[in-house]
Amino acid sequence: MSSSKPLPNSYSATILPPANKAFVPRDYSHGTELRFSTELPAKLQGRIPEEVFTAVIGNINQLLIAAETGSASVYLESCFACLTGYLAYLCMETQYEKCLRSVSRLVEEYNRTVFGPRNLSMIDPSERGLRVIEIVLLRP
Amino acid sequence: MPKRWEVYPGKSQVLCSGRCISAKNLSVFYLTLALIVISSCLFLAFDCRLLAVTLSPSVPVLAAVQFIFVLCCLLRTTFSDPGIIPRGTPDEAAWIESQLEGPQVDRDGNYRPPVRLKDVQINGRVFKLKYCFTCKLWRPPRASHCSTCDNCVDRFDHHCPWVGNCVGRRNYRYFYLFLISLSVYCLYVMVFGIVNLVLLAFFSIWSVVGLGGFHTMLICRETSTNEDIKGSFNQRRHPDLINPFDQGNGLANCCYVLFGPVTPSLLNFREDEIGLGSSISLVTNNGRNGTVSAAAASTAVTATPAVRYSNLTRNNNDATSNSVGHVNNSVQVISESLPAQLPGDGNDVIVKNGNGAPADGVISGGTDAVGAQNSNTQSASSVHCIV
Repeated sequence: MSSSKPLPNSYSATILPPANKAFVPRDYSHGTELRFSTELPAKLQGRIPEEVFTAVIGNINQLLIAAETGSASVYLESCFACLTGYLAYLCMETQYEKCLRSVSRLVEEYNRTVFGPRNLSMIDPSERGLRVIEIVLLRP
Repeated sequence: MPKRWEVYPGKSQVLCSGRCISAKNLSVFYLTLALIVISSCLFLAFDCRLLAVTLSPSVPVLAAVQFIFVLCCLLRTTFSDPGIIPRGTPDEAAWIESQLEGPQVDRDGNYRPPVRLKDVQINGRVFKLKYCFTCKLWRPPRASHCSTCDNCVDRFDHHCPWVGNCVGRRNYRYFYLFLISLSVYCLYVMVFGIVNLVLLAFFSIWSVVGLGGFHTMLICRETSTNEDIKGSFNQRRHPDLINPFDQGNGLANCCYVLFGPVTPSLLNFREDEIGLGSSISLVTNNGRNGTVSAAAASTAVTATPAVRYSNLTRNNNDATSNSVGHVNNSVQVISESLPAQLPGDGNDVIVKNGNGAPADGVISGGTDAVGAQNSNTQSASSVHCIV
């Protein structure tokens, strides 16, 4: 479907970007917090209304930002883990991991309700190392 | 289907089937581990035995707890993912690189490499984001590429060889806690090591230092231990008694006792032992008690014995009167109480046998020599020949 040939380290003009994938990059305008750009990619123009897209990305951003916010419960959890010599982390799930799992569930939900009917598929950002949100155009 | 850890492209070492990750070269980490473990074991095995008994059993317990905490932090720092950003997929890479300005040749014919920077406004400040060609991603702010591990690490601090891993966002707190807990633990071991030394050395310090101090005091007072015990010059017991040997001040006493004249040994063990007469028993330090017979004594007398006092002569002519031939550094003692002529002048000591001759060979002055003539020749007076 798309070119899966590994790119050489130097720039090569002959490799074309994949035609059936749109990428939503990270938004660093607010610092290093986990946030994706709400700008509609060019490939999705006409496939999905802009407001819907913005709302979807906005909701995902909210969950991700919550994962990185330090709250009282997060501090308590960290202190407790420290006192056990961090052996507690072998047994329990951290706040961050819980948030990422909820993002996965939300992405599944959106794939069912928003993207699926439009022949699109959103890939969970955790699968892409939180670098991009990949949206696959299932049908051109 | 291979697992992701099996196709991991970086230079880090993946262990325990993908549960742990560290740098490839762990040799310095093994050194760190060895130092901590060996010194802890030595402390727990040796110092804590005495400390648990004399101070409290909580000392080794606390040490063990700290040791375990330090180890946990160290192992977490070494074997956890520091925050490696997974490499971009080929599709992502193609998409990003298609957006970059390609390499260009400008008017002068110079080659310009593809631009890999983009500006980003972060809270009002312009920040340059770099595109990492190795990892195929836009490096987030505060991330950096570690050349040792060949990864981009989020919030990259440094690559620590002592710990054998990069220190980044995910393991910075473990690294910091490792440093702090190890500092505290080191101080703890040091303090209790010193306490252990002090306890062990307490008695020897007390006895040796105490004894040294006591004798310093005696020297300053020009007193001997014996005199101190008896209280001969004790001002409290005999207030009117002063120490006649005291030179005045402590320093002068010290100087005299420690650096004053050194008296040579008067035993002269290396000299030949000489017989001195029938009734005279020679008592020497090696216990030889020889009673010289009259005949032998006479021959001994005629042989002009060389028994002499090394520091008593009439004149300086030592060598001529000395049949043994020893030249000794005699000091001429000129005493006004000496008679004009000593009996047997010309010899250092006159030892005659019991028939009207002085049997006592001691010369300490004219009076003694005269007295010797009248003494009982059969008396078994021992002559101490201190030669």
